[in-house]
Amino acid sequence: MGYLNNQSVTIDAILTKKGRETLAKNDGSFRITQFSLADDEIDYTLYNPTHPSGSSFYGEAIDNMPLLEAFPNESQIMKYQLTTLPRGTAKLPVLDLGFSAITLKQGASLAITPQTLSYLGNASTFETSGYSATVSDVRLFNTYTGVGINTEAATSANLNSTVTVGTNVSKTVTGTQINLRATTVNTLFGTNEQIATTITVVGLDSGARLTIPVTITKTT
Amino acid sequence: MSFKRLDAEDFLVSSDSITSTLWSTGAPTLTEFFTSSTQEAGSSGDFYLAVYQTASALTNAATQFDIAYADEGGSGSTAYNALVPQNTTSKTIYGQYRSLILEDENANFIFGTGTNVISGSNFWVISVERARYKEALFPGSLNLTLSGSAGEIKLTDNSVDTSVNTFLGTSKVYQLISGSNGSAVSGGGDVAGSGSYGLVFPELGTILLNPYAISQSIGVTANRAVGLANGTNNTTLFNSIDLGASFRINSQETITSDYVFVRARNSEFNYTENPTFISGSTGEIIYTDFINNPQTFITTVGMYNDSNELLAVAKLSKPLIKDFTKETLLRIKLDF
Repeated sequence: MGYLNNQSVTIDAILTKKGRETLAKNDGSFRITQFSLADDEIDYTLYNPTHPSGSSFYGEAIDNMPLLEAFPNESQIMKYQLTTLPRGTAKLPVLDLGFSAITLKQGASLAITPQTLSYLGNASTFETSGYSATVSDVRLFNTYTGVGINTEAATSANLNSTVTVGTNVSKTVTGTQINLRATTVNTLFGTNEQIATTITVVGLDSGARLTIPVTITKTT
Repeated sequence: MSFKRLDAEDFLVSSDSITSTLWSTGAPTLTEFFTSSTQEAGSSGDFYLAVYQTASALTNAATQFDIAYADEGGSGSTAYNALVPQNTTSKTIYGQYRSLILEDENANFIFGTGTNVISGSNFWVISVERARYKEALFPGSLNLTLSGSAGEIKLTDNSVDTSVNTFLGTSKVYQLISGSNGSAVSGGGDVAGSGSYGLVFPELGTILLNPYAISQSIGVTANRAVGLANGTNNTTLFNSIDLGASFRINSQETITSDYVFVRARNSEFNYTENPTFISGSTGEIIYTDFINNPQTFITTVGMYNDSNELLAVAKLSKPLIKDFTKETLLRIKLDF
């Protein structure tokens, strides 16, 4: 990982770990159908709307900053998505999962029902397109499914969502409710009493995003 | 909305041929050649001699090409078993290339074209490492200097002089001739009565050298003695290449690229979930100016499948401003 040369505008593109995995699967899941934009690395507190030289210089601390190369781990990039909202929006949508962190015992189950606050004039709402939830290490769950959205894409995403073997790979499901059940496999713990991962939930309409830590505690 | 669907016309698949320097040194010409005494003394040394770009004990040493010797009758090498004297490493190598290229156990290698042809019952092989030549040797870039007791000769393929591709079996083949950059020297580039100097198979990364023509030209001779120590003839050719001190050739590969055109219209992607864009936990935008005239800075493009799985990412080298007065078109190239 290093900085990109910003003397001219170039684009450095790579496949993610998930991209390489889906390519290797050869099951048709490696098919780019949509895109999203993000402003990872940007600190808007550097934007200066009181710059003495005028509005052309408000963003000078951001305009020419060097950017880092792309990370192949899909959980480390596209953190802050740009979103399309009506002009004049004063409040950005915020996700509420009902948890700031999750701790489960082996074999325990939990349902997460995300809500979006401050979206399109509503104090609280469930997004029509649902939510995508990405766990960065799917081995930690015996069950990891999304329910409540019946589109073909959501159904496809929710297939084969029980994986506790193999290596550390992420898994994304789509739904209005995310159901998970902690793994019962002891070997994942090694000599530790706990194992940890993260779940990132994104509102598919609003783009609001929230990541929470998940800890599984060994019981046997 | 933070995801936008791509249309069919947003994709373009393009295949481009890329040529580059072949050797690990990064230079077009390899001028120094090294071998490994360990490899030479090992079981693989009976069949071929690995040639490195630097001393083989160094960590950055990598095999550039291998030299082998083939003889139809098994001469010039030692029998595997004294009870079966005709079965030798040189015969194995001959059979290997006959099977690979001629695809007929009764066929012979023919060096030369027109009336100046010779049937080769023995030859040297230069087999370039796959990692070096990638997909193929780039025809017209070959310039190999051999040196012997009777002088020096510069060899190339005849790709520039040939208007129609020639095949042996299914393999594209060029004659190895005296000349440079794919063209023969005046006079034809071969040796009268000895055929060409060899055959070049770009897609196999392989060059076969005709010992008879080379012997006539510069006095480097393959020893066809029965029971000769394995590796002797490999060393003979290595010494000639080492003394010539100039082996130039380029690699060639076809890169298939998937171009994705990402378009953000003026009304799209003008707000962000970046935590520094808001103040407090309730989502208020950090600057009042941003309420009606938000500015975002695009740094990253994520490409997803229908399951919202992030398959590929692209990073810009500098942030790109986006607001309600700007539209953005980005061309992203994914190589496979």
